[in-house]
Amino acid sequence: MRIALVTTYPPSKGSLNEYAFHFVKHLRGKHEVSEVIILADELPDGQTYPPDDETAGNAPLRIRPCWCFGAWDNTLRIRRAVTDIQPDVVLFNLQFATFADRRLLAALGLLAPWLAKSTDTVSAVLLHNIMETVDLGKAGFGGNSIMERVTRLFGTIFTRALLRADLVAVTIPKYVDILTHKYGAQHVVLAPHGAFEEIQEPAYDLPDGPLQIMTFGKFGTYKKVEHLIEAFALLKQTHTQPLELVIAGTDSPNTPEYLAGVQQQYAHIAGVRYTGYVEEEDVPRIFEEAAVVVFPYNSTTGSSGVLHQAGSYGKAVVLPNLGDFAELIAEEGYTGEFFEPDDPHSMAQAISRLIDAPRHRQQVGMQNYVAASGLPMHEVVDWYLLHFERLLAEKSTSPLNATQKAN
Amino acid sequence: MEMTHRDVNGVDILELSGRFDAYEVPAVADWFNNHPQTSYVIVNLSGVGFIDSSGLATLVKGLKICRQNNGDLYLSNLSQAVFIIFELTRLDKAFKIFDDEAAALEAVHPEQ
Repeated sequence: MRIALVTTYPPSKGSLNEYAFHFVKHLRGKHEVSEVIILADELPDGQTYPPDDETAGNAPLRIRPCWCFGAWDNTLRIRRAVTDIQPDVVLFNLQFATFADRRLLAALGLLAPWLAKSTDTVSAVLLHNIMETVDLGKAGFGGNSIMERVTRLFGTIFTRALLRADLVAVTIPKYVDILTHKYGAQHVVLAPHGAFEEIQEPAYDLPDGPLQIMTFGKFGTYKKVEHLIEAFALLKQTHTQPLELVIAGTDSPNTPEYLAGVQQQYAHIAGVRYTGYVEEEDVPRIFEEAAVVVFPYNSTTGSSGVLHQAGSYGKAVVLPNLGDFAELIAEEGYTGEFFEPDDPHSMAQAISRLIDAPRHRQQVGMQNYVAASGLPMHEVVDWYLLHFERLLAEKSTSPLNATQKAN
Repeated sequence: MEMTHRDVNGVDILELSGRFDAYEVPAVADWFNNHPQTSYVIVNLSGVGFIDSSGLATLVKGLKICRQNNGDLYLSNLSQAVFIIFELTRLDKAFKIFDDEAAALEAVHPEQ
């Protein structure tokens, strides 16, 4: 099976690049897969993707940059690329702002799975969030109430377009319910996020030095660090033990210069470290050194790769009391301390409950490790392949396909 | 969770009962790891009231093993709660699911 994946991919810093990196790694290890072609976004000048990789024991990997964040014609570019390479399956790794930070351009990009289907390829979408549960304002697509209604109307239209794909996978049961009941879709599947790596049980020990409170991600839209820094300042007033706040990651593509502005605004608060982009090989160290991992989100985000990573490293987590997160916690066996979104005092109290009680912190971390190790991503990839095999079998036996072949 | 194994005319029947979740999957996963040559398996889920994603993943793993050996893994006796999870993941389209064990056995034609 030759699979094309439309996605961001390292060294691109676009959203979902880490997810794609791990997904591709596991996909290449499956015997059913004969080749993986990544249809990636174009990189800034001076950066290049890795060359073709034909490592023995893995399906060959080719990376073909063919679309550009913010371009109006991404759908056409992707269709052309799919026509050229003629994969058996094209899988889109998407969220609503994958293709652009402006409404119209972002929406136009979402037509790509539909157009790709017209190339006689099985078209599948992994949709990390859905319009119905996104807080548009906090996701960077806000405006006045009329504009928000218009955006939601177009969101509904473009969701219908996305649902023209042969398969739409989502990571939360609630999303399946919404897409099934609101849109009448019968080909939406639940495919859990999965843990990136199958990992050994962590040591749970922390390095000497200040206790690190860490947050990880791409910041500026619904992941904002202002209240976390304010909570950190509150914690420093009430705790004598040395503390450090580690803000690991970069700006969201939708909010360039966000972290630089925050750094300037809170320059007077000591003990805050900004790591910038964290290279793949540095990710384990960043997590292992953290005492707690905080999710300073103020809006629903879908399933969280960072939560799965934190679980993989046996970390206690501090989470916003938001619907999707609470649901994910309950359904996938994670646990943590919760805070009210946009409330630094509540966040400081939640962090405090973990840093003041090492035994409780370790128990929470151990439970999260069990949850994260329950379903490794390589097993989730098997689910996708089962669906793809079924769709390819259905396609090969459909009367329309037989007619096309006869012609 | 409890698991019992029977051999009926060359078909491996695994009968499970209890919760089939992350804490309980090792028993089933170990059975498949210890029987890499198995080709036709029926998993009778009549006693299973709850299955989570790791339980599903274990069945998918078993299905792959059986199909690699030119066989298949059939499911039978799913409770409504368990069937809903299969529908949610659309894995009900990937597995052959039967009302009862007898129907699943009838559908098996192992090369013997």
